[in-house]
Amino acid sequence: MKLLTPQEIADTLQAAAGAGFISARCTEWAEGAKGRKSRQVWLHITREALLPTLRRLADIHYPHVSVIAHADTGAQVDLMYHFYIYWGIPREEILVTLTISLDKSDLRTPTITGIIPGALTSEREKQEMLGIEVVDIPDGRRLFLPEDFPEGVYPWRKDETGIPPDMVKELWATGRDSLQLDDTPPAPTPEPPTA
Amino acid sequence: MKLSQTLGKSLWAFLFNSGSCNGCEIETVATVTPRYDLERFGIKVVGSPRHADILLISGPVTRKMAPRLRRVYEQMPDPKIVLCIGACGTSGGAFYDSYTLVGPVDQVVPVDMYVPGCPPRPEAIIDGVVKILARLEAAEKSA
Amino acid sequence: MKTIEVKKPSGYFTQIGPAHPALKEPVMFNLDVEGERIIKADFAPGMSHRGIEWMGLRRNCIQVIYLAERICGICGITHSISFVRAVEQIAQIQVPVRAHYIRSIVGELERIHSHLLWAGVAAHELGFDSAFYLAWRVRENVMDLVEYLTGNRVHYAMIQIGGVRRDITREQFPRIEESMKFFDNAYDQLARVFLDDTTVQMRCRDCGVLTYEEARQLCPVGPTARASGIKKDVRVDHPYAGYADLDIEYMTPDRLTGEVRGDVYDRIVVRLLEVKQSIALVRQLLEQMPDGPLLAIPKPAVLLAKLKGAAGEAVGRHEAPRGEVMHYVRLEAGKDEPVSWKVKASSYSNYLSWIPMMEGEQIADIPIIAASIDPCISCTDRVALVQDGNRRVLTKAELHRLSVEKTRRIQASLSAR
Repeated sequence: MKLLTPQEIADTLQAAAGAGFISARCTEWAEGAKGRKSRQVWLHITREALLPTLRRLADIHYPHVSVIAHADTGAQVDLMYHFYIYWGIPREEILVTLTISLDKSDLRTPTITGIIPGALTSEREKQEMLGIEVVDIPDGRRLFLPEDFPEGVYPWRKDETGIPPDMVKELWATGRDSLQLDDTPPAPTPEPPTA
Repeated sequence: MKLSQTLGKSLWAFLFNSGSCNGCEIETVATVTPRYDLERFGIKVVGSPRHADILLISGPVTRKMAPRLRRVYEQMPDPKIVLCIGACGTSGGAFYDSYTLVGPVDQVVPVDMYVPGCPPRPEAIIDGVVKILARLEAAEKSA
Repeated sequence: MKTIEVKKPSGYFTQIGPAHPALKEPVMFNLDVEGERIIKADFAPGMSHRGIEWMGLRRNCIQVIYLAERICGICGITHSISFVRAVEQIAQIQVPVRAHYIRSIVGELERIHSHLLWAGVAAHELGFDSAFYLAWRVRENVMDLVEYLTGNRVHYAMIQIGGVRRDITREQFPRIEESMKFFDNAYDQLARVFLDDTTVQMRCRDCGVLTYEEARQLCPVGPTARASGIKKDVRVDHPYAGYADLDIEYMTPDRLTGEVRGDVYDRIVVRLLEVKQSIALVRQLLEQMPDGPLLAIPKPAVLLAKLKGAAGEAVGRHEAPRGEVMHYVRLEAGKDEPVSWKVKASSYSNYLSWIPMMEGEQIADIPIIAASIDPCISCTDRVALVQDGNRRVLTKAELHRLSVEKTRRIQASLSAR
């Protein structure tokens, strides 16, 4: 298998995204004494271009989906789909990130589990934490939040749907004498005898 | 070390993880391994709270685990001893402001002994257990 | 949003924990069974959800290191390394080479201790409690070494943005070599106990299989993936820290047994091979470690000022004992706190592989299969079964008992031959 350079990958995916392409950049970072580099490709595309671009990427090499990261930028929510290709070939792995920006008025994104089933955990988490609807997700239940967590509160959002201040507990401020549960039995060990 | 009349010759302990990072859990489990050997005090780790005398709780209590912690505490027969292991359960530790934590352990169940540390060493945990037993014994004697 | 109907367990959520809870956060499993065989599996994590990513957005980058460290008490350095690498890439801070090597050395010591911990847990699940005590006793040697080098057994606080906070000096090398010699011997002992025992083979061979194709699509990481033949290892694929200067190999089970079957036995093989590999890597790193400074920016105030001006996004990764750990960080100029922080622990990726592993297996095998991916968010404290339409709750203690009984039956049949 011929290995493409990051720039070639960026160009191929730009062609696959077509009209949905917004921008691309390639970065690299070296660590260690020999200065060996790790390489990254970052693409910014529209939601409609996500699946075609991902299919083209899967043709290059079946990607390992790492996680879908997020950022709340005010009017939009960015989703960063992190994929790794060329795993299994020493030192050749390339991070390919597909970033899509969703307007808060229309928080929907297609599921990628049709191409990579392993993305299910990440998509379920985005649904419950950001209030995004992943269209056609095979299993849309809550994953990490408790069942009694209020609907409409999305912990990672920074606007009015985020965590309200009254839900935040300052654990260090509880003080020792504040236990006031009526049904609590008294502590079993009495105070030590003053002798 | 002589244990009290009520509690008999040896105590059984139950470990409860209320959402911790597992550092305290691992150090507590390390206390039963040959290097630290909690069992030389006659203390055994059991699988059911109904058989236990000592409850060792680690972690700041998450919302999902708080009702379970109450239930475990209620299932334990009296007299029981509750130890809170680690800084999270004592005062929140590194997680001092969170939307999903119900609070330090003593907001959910009454605690007899706090073992500080992040995580406390196995020796510190054993020290905590031994101290509370000695205090119990002294309390019984004076009663 | 499509929802799947889940039969909620009725009544009483008894939190009955495991007798030896090296099995950390409880995860609820829902299984449909027919007789002793599992037809459908499903799980629900979330009992340890502390809101760490949310808390991280309210603290400055140096404070986040200590919060990240406490995500997991076993992988002490992995989360801090990953976070710090991401921040360094954004702020373009070049870490001195000596610090890179120290990071890798501590990472390998952590791998040894974690795999030994896991070996003990696996032995306990199978019913070999003396092997559990043996593995943890051996592990105490690593804990002593780590305490000697970093000051603490867990949560080492070694990492700072731009380097490490403590040095590993030449005077400390002999002590490290002494430990490595001890581990060479211990490895042979452990290999005999775990790999040559007939009962272990009968319990673990062809149990909990994850095929290559399933693994490729579900994207697990770490030993779980490598045991199925998928060659994924951040230290090999991606040059970083001290590993960038070494030639490391993927540890797949065919290095020892000659074939890849993707079952629980293969996962044991991979982890034991990795212990051996870690010992060799520590020796290589110590040999090649250059002299130099430890921190790119020694003064925290100067560092914070530089980070306040940094802007951009980056990904930092590390090969934890369980697999790839990845942190995504986005910083904005003028802000102390990160604008966005996403943590991916290795077990996050490994969860989904539980489902194909469990389907078709027996109930008594649940503990060892669940433990075989080394979940850092773990194990069945309670399993809810739907058996012939009736809901039944099996506690961890009952599951453990079933597993141990199966081992005793196998041992009895072997000695009767």
